[in-house]
Amino acid sequence: MAKPNILTVEDVSVSYGMVKALSHVSLEINEGEIVALIGANGSGKSTLLETILGIHRVNSGKILFMRKPITRMPTDKIVASGICLVPEGRGILAPMTVLENLQMGAYHLKSGFDKYLERVYQHFSFISERSKQKAGTLSGGQQQMLSIGRGLMSAPKLLMMDEPSLGLAPVMVEELFKTIVDLNREGYTVLLAEQNAYKALNIAHRGYAFETGSIVLSGTAEELAGNTKVRNAYLGGG
Amino acid sequence: MDIVLAQVINGVAVGSIYALLATGFNLLFLVGGVFQFAYPHLVVLTMYTFWLVLKATGDNLAVSILATIGAGMGLSVATEPLFRPLARRGAIVTTFILSLGIVIVFSDIMNRQIHYGIPIGFPPALSGQEALARWGLATITIGQLATILGAIGAVVGFLYMLYRTKRGRAFRTLAQSPFVARLIGIPITKTSILSYLIAGLLGGVSAVFLSMSLGAAAGSLGNILAVKVFAVAMFAGLGNLKGGVIAGLILGLVESFVMGYLRGDWVYAVSLGMILVVVMWKPEGLFSSDV
Repeated sequence: MAKPNILTVEDVSVSYGMVKALSHVSLEINEGEIVALIGANGSGKSTLLETILGIHRVNSGKILFMRKPITRMPTDKIVASGICLVPEGRGILAPMTVLENLQMGAYHLKSGFDKYLERVYQHFSFISERSKQKAGTLSGGQQQMLSIGRGLMSAPKLLMMDEPSLGLAPVMVEELFKTIVDLNREGYTVLLAEQNAYKALNIAHRGYAFETGSIVLSGTAEELAGNTKVRNAYLGGG
Repeated sequence: MDIVLAQVINGVAVGSIYALLATGFNLLFLVGGVFQFAYPHLVVLTMYTFWLVLKATGDNLAVSILATIGAGMGLSVATEPLFRPLARRGAIVTTFILSLGIVIVFSDIMNRQIHYGIPIGFPPALSGQEALARWGLATITIGQLATILGAIGAVVGFLYMLYRTKRGRAFRTLAQSPFVARLIGIPITKTSILSYLIAGLLGGVSAVFLSMSLGAAAGSLGNILAVKVFAVAMFAGLGNLKGGVIAGLILGLVESFVMGYLRGDWVYAVSLGMILVVVMWKPEGLFSSDV
């Protein structure tokens, strides 16, 4: 039984002036999957996530979400329709309290705020303890979890994460990937852009490898992890 | 002692208007992303509207006040599209230059197009000169009380909205990080326009109280107020809402005491002195800045 398609990126190219950031990128995400985007810094992973969210203009190609075109939609409508991005660097609003950050995540939530808040508390226990604290006082790992929590507050149909392990201590990185797996088991579809290819492919179902704005390889996580080029480029060889 | 009290009352009344003006200005800076140097001129132009509507309706206060607030909001929103491409790029200095252009336009309207450029005078009954209470030589008039309650009330109401409502949180998010605001799905343009509307509303309220307190207006009032608002904003730190309110009250009090104990023409020097002090000593402003 094929899983329903959540997101289709069809032959998308994006340029900033003279620089070609994305070149004929095509990919698919189906319900319940964890899809990993691996590749070096600047290879186009972040640009793709931001383009899906409507932050960058698509020069050519289409993006379909739940089979409906969102290529030219403004960002606020795309977010309202169920896609959320946990940005690189977390994007926490430091002067606001932890609770206020979560409230901002629920900006487009029509109903069920308390229910979703309860779920976030269950995933991240420290959040309920520190709900009145300013978000800037949290540690890096906690801020990352808060950022994910904020994303969850929008009840997303697609949860996108941009380099969530960046800057985290190894213990927190373990915690992070375990959380992503838990969320996926709960039913969240995840699109994960990660420099830590090893960990990402470890938890993903499928993956795409990026290089200078193009997809150079795609397949199941096992296929990618077993591929010699990928091993040499991202997994330390051998 | 009564003289001191009289100065304090006067100072708080004037200062609360400065606080309100600084709040509107800071709002445009924080959420709109613009350095609206023409904001005080917009307020004075709104005072002209107040005068025109009073004349047209035979001094109907209620209608005129509503029309004035509406005019403030309308004028403010009208400037939004001009600033939009600049604000989007984060070109704050360019917004300042654009605002200077708007100053020229507004000033011309006031200095030449309305009432042949002659300063306008408001009906004396408006200023509410009847004393409500007396302590020896010190009095507090209806006008002063209305100004203090009204201006401070408007500021408090605005801060309540900012910190306790969803819209207010959207404002603060946009002020703290336009990128994160986009990610969350906050409609940037709509939210920005709303901030212009509210700044215009605060401006309209200021215009009413300024008309009451000053009793008259001329095009040049815009320039005088602009220096004062600028002084308050710099003193507190650009974009510092709470600091701006406190600094506005301080300016009002200091001006009042200078008028009472020194000479009237030194009043202007107070604002300029504030700017001088802060630029030389602590250019980022005296209070810490957090929205």
